[in-house]
Amino acid sequence: MSEAKPLPKFAVLQLSGCAGCEVSLINATEWVDKYQLVYMPLVVSTAAVPDDTEILLVSGGVRNDEDIYNLKKATEKVDRVIAVGTCAISGGISNLGDRDDVRNMFLAQSTRHHLPHLLPKSHPIDAFVDVDLYLPGCPPTPELFMAALTDPEGYEAGSIVCVECGRKKLKDMRPKHLVGFQQGEVLPDICLINQGYLCVGSSTRGGCRAICTKPGHPCVGCRGPSDAYIEKESSVWFDRVQNVFERMTDIPPEEIKAALHSPQLSLFLFQFTDYSEGGRPPRPKDKVL
Amino acid sequence: MTTLRFPLSRIEGHARVEMEVQNGEVVSAQFQAIEMRGFRYFVQGTPAEQMPVIVPRICGVCSTAHHVASVKALENALEVKPPKLANEIRELLLLGQLIQNQATSLFIFTMPDRVGASSIFHMEESEANPEQQLNLAQRALKVRQMGTKLITLAGGQFIHPVKAIIGGVTSGIKAEDAEQMLKEMQDTLSTACELFDEYWEMSLAMKERIGTWGDDQPAYYIASTGVERLQFNSDTIRVLGPNGMEKATFPPELFREFLDYQQTDYSFAGKSSFQGEVLRANSLARINLAVSMGTPCADRYMTRLTEEFGKPAHPILLFDLCRGIELVYAFERAIEMLSEDLDYEDTSVPYSLKDGEGYGLVEAPRGPLIHHYTIEDGLIADAEFIIPTVHNMGAIERALRVAGERYITPQGINLELEKAVGRVVRAFDPCIACATQ
Repeated sequence: MSEAKPLPKFAVLQLSGCAGCEVSLINATEWVDKYQLVYMPLVVSTAAVPDDTEILLVSGGVRNDEDIYNLKKATEKVDRVIAVGTCAISGGISNLGDRDDVRNMFLAQSTRHHLPHLLPKSHPIDAFVDVDLYLPGCPPTPELFMAALTDPEGYEAGSIVCVECGRKKLKDMRPKHLVGFQQGEVLPDICLINQGYLCVGSSTRGGCRAICTKPGHPCVGCRGPSDAYIEKESSVWFDRVQNVFERMTDIPPEEIKAALHSPQLSLFLFQFTDYSEGGRPPRPKDKVL
Repeated sequence: MTTLRFPLSRIEGHARVEMEVQNGEVVSAQFQAIEMRGFRYFVQGTPAEQMPVIVPRICGVCSTAHHVASVKALENALEVKPPKLANEIRELLLLGQLIQNQATSLFIFTMPDRVGASSIFHMEESEANPEQQLNLAQRALKVRQMGTKLITLAGGQFIHPVKAIIGGVTSGIKAEDAEQMLKEMQDTLSTACELFDEYWEMSLAMKERIGTWGDDQPAYYIASTGVERLQFNSDTIRVLGPNGMEKATFPPELFREFLDYQQTDYSFAGKSSFQGEVLRANSLARINLAVSMGTPCADRYMTRLTEEFGKPAHPILLFDLCRGIELVYAFERAIEMLSEDLDYEDTSVPYSLKDGEGYGLVEAPRGPLIHHYTIEDGLIADAEFIIPTVHNMGAIERALRVAGERYITPQGINLELEKAVGRVVRAFDPCIACATQ
């Protein structure tokens, strides 16, 4: 029997998040015989990320000082860092707490005995360490995880969710108002915008295979801006998506404008650079899967 | 005074255990939940209708339970009653969640403890036959995947489902899709049973080795599933006394009258109790409260458990065995449901927004989960999440103390203690992301 070549090692560091990314990763079973999983507290009991780890996936946002320490320590020796999920990339859903009343609540908790010191807000990981690849999604699908691990350049995906969705856009079906967030029967095969839903699939990056819009739920943009917008400020996107709705519907512009600033789109909006602090340069599109 | 600190892995989220020891005696045993994101606070001001999309992000493991509890809380506030089909699809969603969760807890979190391995992916390290062990991980993931597939089919998205809406669901399940799913589940059920049989044997062997099933002092049990058959899209909470007598039955809006809640300085999660007594939720609570499971295979396992351990059973490592019984039940029940018509017209009823207050209850894998919202002008004015892991906090700490007393003596600390701490915590399968939000 020949000696088997050791499998490349990968690790998963979880910061403050929901573990949905990890759950998605273990839904992908194909890595089991291609990689050796050396660190992932959710499923493996090991003390630290080993020095000879090739790929480190980081999920979750930076919410407290232990997150900063663990992130810096884990990334010190690894070859390649991949930020997975919306929280690691932009702070994610926790960013809804980036306002005074909530910041004060965190500050009030921050001196408790035994417990990590809470930061006033959630930060993306690239505020602290260099990232080689971004894998957005809330969470990224198992297929996307496999692509990020094995062949990010070769992954074939539609440029936007619309391309992968396949619902038909109709010229003569023009709603006059947005319907409630989600109400009533959803017609199969017809574009959700034609049915009056606030769907942002037209500017959200593809690759998820339109798993929400196909069964009838509007895209909330968890994969973030498509290549056309990712290096731009959010104002460009606001104008464009407004155009899409004006072209396809008779919904008053101010109604659309108000709806586009709502929390349901937080996963999407926070991925624009101007929503993060410190004037960091935009994430380059060739680093985003 | 000596302070022992144990980091934890193979559980959901960030937590650790601290034990203070003096002269060979355990002075305190604390379970510390050490992360918090502040959902309760930052959802204030959110349009109420968007909650079912936001709250699954509390936890990627329990997302389905939050999704359904949220929709039910909103329906309660808006006085809307979903049609029968919607309730069935939601039950299927929760069964999918149960399969995913119990398979994860059994095979990924706790099976390695039975043979002293660091993970199911490394079980060949301690076993003689590596080929067969690789097979074990793949079989376990396959069983687990059926839960995810069921969530996807019934819920749209695979981690943070989207199909439950105020007033119902966005669509039913097409007959051909249901049939395909049913076939796959029938094929996988035998694998699930095989793995669970192996798990049961490994657990018996572990008991022989360590000499205990863990903390077996009496406790109160809380669950919201039915008596004759487990139902996860539930409406009533029940509490069982340590001697097997039912102590309380109440709807979710009355939980404050029956449960006491206590904040601690050392954890971002609080703990609850029943009339000051230790309370337990999760699999063992449901099975102690049920007369039967309601499906043939699961009932056979339940009978075996009752014959070997009596009822109500108290040792904590039985939580793990009960999870296996529920895994089998969820397969069998889903197969039953998928063979019925799930694709007829009546998927939802209309609603209109108004001010109000609502409670939504589901039986999550870890126990009764309540969402409580106050709506003003269409926005969330206040939100409260009553998390099942919080009901178990007192029970976890008591069981940790029992383990500490077993392995700490004036002569020294037995190294088995670290493993025992892991076994104790994993028996309760706590979810820290939920407990702290």
